[in-house]
Amino acid sequence: FPSRPVDREKAEHDLALNIKKATSPDETAPKQKHVRKCIVYTWDYHTSESIWTGLKVQPILSDEVQTFKALITVHKIIRGGHPVTLKDAQNQTSWLDTCARSISEDGIRGSGYGVLIRAYVEFLKSKLAYHRIHPEFNGNFDYEDYVSLKNVDDPNEGYETINELMDLQDRIDQFQRLIFAQFRKSSNNECRIAALVPLVEESYGIYRFLTNMLRALHRRIEFIDALAPLGSRFNAQHYALLKFYFECSNLRYLTSLISVPKLPQDPPSLIDGSAPPAIP
Amino acid sequence: MSKKYMAKDAVRSIKNYTKGYSETQAKVRSATSNNPWGPSGSAMYEIAQATYNPHHFIEIMEMIDKRLNDHGKNWRHVFKALTLLHYCLNEGSPDVVAYAKENIYIVKTLQEFQYIDEQSKDQGIVVRQKAKEITNLLLDEDRLNSERRQRTDMRNRMTGRGDL
Repeated sequence: FPSRPVDREKAEHDLALNIKKATSPDETAPKQKHVRKCIVYTWDYHTSESIWTGLKVQPILSDEVQTFKALITVHKIIRGGHPVTLKDAQNQTSWLDTCARSISEDGIRGSGYGVLIRAYVEFLKSKLAYHRIHPEFNGNFDYEDYVSLKNVDDPNEGYETINELMDLQDRIDQFQRLIFAQFRKSSNNECRIAALVPLVEESYGIYRFLTNMLRALHRRIEFIDALAPLGSRFNAQHYALLKFYFECSNLRYLTSLISVPKLPQDPPSLIDGSAPPAIP
Repeated sequence: MSKKYMAKDAVRSIKNYTKGYSETQAKVRSATSNNPWGPSGSAMYEIAQATYNPHHFIEIMEMIDKRLNDHGKNWRHVFKALTLLHYCLNEGSPDVVAYAKENIYIVKTLQEFQYIDEQSKDQGIVVRQKAKEITNLLLDEDRLNSERRQRTDMRNRMTGRGDL
């Protein structure tokens, strides 16, 4: 069914190999070429079933680096894959729990990945829960104007949507701080930094949504004081994000892959309606 | 240097023959080859014009798709295929636009393309930038349309057609 020339049988065969290589025991980032093949597969065939099966037949759960790489891979596939991937992922929470249970605090290698794995699983589960309640958002929070407008049509609902989106943003912030805290001087930390890449992109997508939804809500509601809690929370998240991006901009491996967003020093005004910052 | 690439060009024409590639596909292959210079404007123009023929269109997109999904060490294939695709989006038939939009994920996922060569030089960066440029263009209908229109206007002016 894709209009590009494809060979399903070959694709299935290659997919198993790609999953194996993306989750290899080397302490590096999951190779992008293999992750990309998985993402392309979901768009070509509008399914992600073989990916989950592939992940489960791989003996990754005995090794913390492999498990961590599997979680990064899953996160990237959910974000970049066909929308069906996000739905399929919602049925995989028990596999995620297994990942969190299988690795002890320090793991076999004693490299502290156990903590990161559990935090990653918690984050992915809250992301999936958010998408379950708010199916109008896509996996990578690509900015679409109508979603922000639709969500504030009913101010009460809009308030809740924004509040929950802020909860998710806080979780990203907690998780990224944990990753930085787990950096080792003796290592190039590439595998840990690899997990920051989708987090930078995700947090920025959420930030752009929040900015626009809050502005729309401020235009709609006359009693602005009611929005004060959201406003101050937004400001706090702005400064947290500013710090996160600043720290990321010092990681050469990360900046060689993606451009880290530059936020203004102060939070943008929620009352005037200038356009939201564009993706860099 | 030129001898080396002349030999490679010869190998490519043998491959074109043994693999049964058509003349159009051979053109795409040579425009997106591993030679360290970009595809010539005239080669790209010829290919873009050929996309107006439905039969050639399929052949061209098939070959561009192949090049886009090539290995890291063939990053020049990927980069030049993106360059050619970008050109065809502006100059080629509207089918190219429709095809590229439908398969945008092929280009989008190249935004994190990585290749570091033996001299530890990051060769992936040109691919990443080009992929980002094309993705943004495909997502911006108005810009795409106006760029296509400008190209046609310019060509009409240059050839003395239109504006009569």
